[in-house]
This record gives sequence, C-alpha cells and structure tokens, in this order.
Amino acid sequence: MNITTPSRPVIGTPHRPYRRGVENAILGGVCGGLAIRLGVRERIVRILFCLGALVAGIGLLLYVVLWLCLPRADESDAIAQRLLGPRRQLRRVLVGLVAIIVFGLILQALGAPSLGAYTLPIWLSLVGMIGVWRGASPDERRHLEELAKSAPIVGVPGSRTKRSFYLRVILGAILVFAGLRVLRHFGGAWYVASPALVGTLILLAGVAVGLAPWWLATLSDLTGERRERVRVEERANVAAHLHDSVLQTLTLIERAAGDAEAVTRLARNQERELRAWLFDPEHASSRDLAHSYVAQLHEMEAEVENDWGVKVELVTVGDLELNDDVVALVAAGREAAINAAQWSGASTVSIYAEVEPATVSLFIRDQGSGFNLAAVPSDRRGIELSIRQRMERHGGTVALKSIIGAGTEVELVLPRSS
Amino acid sequence: MSQPRVFLVDDHELIRSGIRSELAGAVDIVGEADEVEAAVEMILERNPDVVLLDVHMPAGGGVAVLRALNGRCPEVRVLALSVSDAAEDVIAVIRAGARGYVTKNISGPDLLDAIYRVAAGDAVFSPRLAGFVLDAFSLEGAQLEAADVDPDLDLLTPRERQVLRLIARGYSYRDVATELVISPKTVESHVSSVLRKLQLSNRHQLSNWASERHLL
Repeated sequence: MNITTPSRPVIGTPHRPYRRGVENAILGGVCGGLAIRLGVRERIVRILFCLGALVAGIGLLLYVVLWLCLPRADESDAIAQRLLGPRRQLRRVLVGLVAIIVFGLILQALGAPSLGAYTLPIWLSLVGMIGVWRGASPDERRHLEELAKSAPIVGVPGSRTKRSFYLRVILGAILVFAGLRVLRHFGGAWYVASPALVGTLILLAGVAVGLAPWWLATLSDLTGERRERVRVEERANVAAHLHDSVLQTLTLIERAAGDAEAVTRLARNQERELRAWLFDPEHASSRDLAHSYVAQLHEMEAEVENDWGVKVELVTVGDLELNDDVVALVAAGREAAINAAQWSGASTVSIYAEVEPATVSLFIRDQGSGFNLAAVPSDRRGIELSIRQRMERHGGTVALKSIIGAGTEVELVLPRSS
Repeated sequence: MSQPRVFLVDDHELIRSGIRSELAGAVDIVGEADEVEAAVEMILERNPDVVLLDVHMPAGGGVAVLRALNGRCPEVRVLALSVSDAAEDVIAVIRAGARGYVTKNISGPDLLDAIYRVAAGDAVFSPRLAGFVLDAFSLEGAQLEAADVDPDLDLLTPRERQVLRLIARGYSYRDVATELVISPKTVESHVSSVLRKLQLSNRHQLSNWASERHLL
C-alpha cells in the first residue's frame, strides 16, 4: 500500500522506485511502470519495447523478465520472490524449467519448424509466462483473466458457453486436418510429412498446455458461484448460533443483573463457548464426546471456571487418545486445579499440558498464598488420596512445590505405555 | 526510562477509549487511527515507540499495517492486540513483524508491562503463544523433513524449549529466571531469539498457519 507512488507518469519528473504500474497496466504494467519511473509517456515506452521484440525477440524476453522480477506498485513482493520463497516451490520451478528445455530439445531433434534466432527468447518467455501465472497475486490474476476473456479467438466476450467451445474444437480440428493435407501436398510423400506431423502434434500439445490458464479461468467462475452460495449458508448458520447462545445468555444476564457473581459466570461461560466456536471449530464439535486428552482438559477448564469462579488459563501442546491412565491424570489435575481455586486465593489458575513421545505431563499453577505441606491437617486428604495415590496407581509421579506467599505448582507426569 | 510514546490502532472507538483510560498517565499516547491506511501514514509521520495494533480490522487488518510498515521504520515496535488467540492469527502477525501479542482481556498493569517490555526491544510471549511455538517446533515435525531443516532457524535449543515451557506454565520472566538460575536479561534474549526463529523459519507448520489465515 504505497500511498506516494503516482498512478500515471508525471511527464518530466522521474519517480523512484521502479515498480510495475497498476492503473496504467495493459498486460503486466512493466511499460507503464517504466514510464512512471522515467517520467515519460507510456506510449513511447511501449513502442520501444515492441521494436525491441523485433530484434530477435529480445524485447519480449526483457518484458517477461521484468514482469517476474519487479513487484507491482501495490504489492511488496515480486512474482519471482513469491515463487522462489518456499524451497519446495523453487524445486518445482527448476523441474519445470528442465522439462521445458528437454521439450524444446525434442522439438529441435524432430525437426519442428524453427523460428531461427527467435526460438530461444520465445521459449524462455513462455517459461516466464507460466511463472507469472503461477506466482501472480489474486489481484493480478484477476486482471489477467479479464484480459484473457476479452482476447480474440480464445474468449470473445459472452462466448464461454459449451456450444461455442465445441464449435471451436471442431474448427480447430478442421484446420489441423487441412494443415496436414497442405503439408502432405508440399512434402510430396508421406515419409517426408510424418516428422512434420509429429512435430505439429507436439506443438499443438504445447499450445493446449499454454491455454490451460484460460480453462482454469472458466472453472474459477463456476467455483466463485458455489462459494457465494456457501457464504450465504454460513451467514445463516452464524445468525442461528448467535441467537441460540449469545442472545440467550444476554437475556439471562439482564435477569441476573443484581447478582455480580452470576453475571461474571454467565459472561465467562459465554465467552469461552463463543471463542471455541469462532476459533477452534474442531474442539467445539468434539466437545460432547471429549475423547481426547485435550478435549477432557477443556471440559475440566470449563467446570473449574464455572464452579469456582476463577479464570483458568489452559495451554496445551500435542494431544493423544484417551485411556485409563490419561483419564486418571486428568482427574488428578482437576483435583489440583480445584485445590488451587479453593484455597490459594489467586484469581487465575494456569494449566499447562504437554504430550511428549515418552511422557504426558500436566502442570497446575497458581500465584496465590501457598501453603506448608506438612501443616495440612490429616483429615484433609485431597492431595494424598486424589492426587498422589491416584497417580502412583497409574505409574505416574507427583511433584509439589509451594512457597508461602508466592503460590503453588503441582506437576503430574505419566509415562506413555507404548 | 521515560514514558514510551504509544500509538493506538483499533477500529472500535470503545476499545480505544478503554485502552486510553487504562494507560492514562503511564504512557504518552501520541495518536490513534481506526483504519489501515490512516494508521500507516500517521505512524510513519509520528514515529512512536510502540504501536498497539488490533489484529482484526477491515481492509486487511493488523497484518496489512505491518506489511505496509515493513522496513520503513525499524525503530517502531508493534504489539498486537486481539480478542482471539487462534494460532493462525498469532502466527500471522508475529511473522509480519509484531514483537509480541496480547489478548484484549489482559489486565491494565499487564498491558502496561507488555508495552514497556516491547519498548525496550524485548518480545512479549503469552503462555498461549509459548504453547503454539512449542507445538509448531515440535521435534516430531523436525524428524520428518530433516533434509530441509535449517538448525539455526528451524529448531529450538533445549534452553529455549525450557524457557518456553515455563512461560507456558504461567511463569513470569522473573520467575523463569529464578527457576533456571539465570538472569532476567538472559531469559529475554532467549525469548527474542525464539521470536526471530518464529519470524524467519520456513517450517511448513508456520507457513501453513500464515497462509491459511483468511478468517474474518
């Protein structure tokens, strides 16, 4: 979003930096951009490029290279940067390049009609154009699609129906056939014509591949329509959901306006539900089943927040299927979290769960009052029974650390059985 | 340290005034904007120390602001602010150049602390963000594509992993320092190094998150 770049050349005033034009682009905006950069009329630049193209195709090649390497004025990355960014993409580009060169060599070997000095620049430009198509931003692609639709032969406006497509194919076939007759006539004998035939077929295949983008453009029109329909349905879903959950809760809050604690609880509950629905659709839908470690923890988070009026901050890394041991781990964790909510006086309980290759661990921490483990009265057996003994039964360990005035952390670790 | 000069970007007036009143007196608010283009222009003009940037806005949101600022004012540091803490949002703004990320339900003092930290050049990692990073840089992923991994960028050191794990457990930087018997400055340099990796690594988990971001 470069605000200062003019959209048309200011005659006589060069403007840095050199970017491809957007407003004044016909094809890629290379000439328009250069005109802005130099402060001259676009037409002069365009004529010079066309003249350059007549000199063994150099102008054409230069145009495509600039198209690839220069960012558009409203974008930060050039097409080439975008293509070469991810390493995997780079590999694909190299493979494509090699394939094109091999293809060119085969054509050469088969004796396809050569264009003399123009051959190489034209091939390279073709490769470049494929690159442009692959790496173009959605905006630029839309521009090119529009251009393609208004181009002659390929897509006369309003002719993108099935019938005109068949017509074109039949017309093409007749032309190819006629062309072959002509070739045979001039070649005099079939054995002279057959290499030319192979060459022509390959050339046609090449043209078909080259036209694939226009095909895609037609297809994308269809998907666009489908997408629109999905969007409308989505909106209806959102409205329904908001009505069922958010509006209901707001009504409840209005009714409970006098009871601060109830209001907080309702709001927090609704916030969590809405958040899950908006940003974490997978967990939201599988919540009812709660068949994984993380899903169980989310359930526990909600329960502790609701029942004890504290904020639970749950962070999870990795996940695994439930089994008896994991259920016990979560149960022990719930006990620890409830202890923290009930006794520590802290307003937030942090829970961190991590699944590693060899272990599953759960940390419950509060920054509350802390306590002296030795001073816990013997009739309060929560830690001993619900946490330590339960973990030990399932082969796990408990580490408890509490500092008076700074808080408590319970660390539960369970080895993973196979 | 003198009061940092703060710039607010959020499309909701209510949120902006809330933040203003919470920060009143503790920072110097030099301006605010409610849309992407105005924000970019004014930030370039006023050169604040810290930009508080809303993630979800029309016309590209916080990421668009970060992209437009990209490289044009390296001394301006951005702290992203959002209602969501969905992975794709967090990762996208961090990779676009934000120095930290907090959710809007953060308390006033915590927000102030985060602003001062970002102003001083440090990174702000919430427990949730630390969890994302541990997830994204999981060892299992690394083994799958060992050939493609750049150890300087794509792997966390054991120490960084320890630090992140403690942050995810709810430890403050100071608590982390005490627990690992290192200085708070060292903790901060570990976190900054993780932030750099998060921004530059090519791990596909990260680029996926960044590219799949078309929510809202």
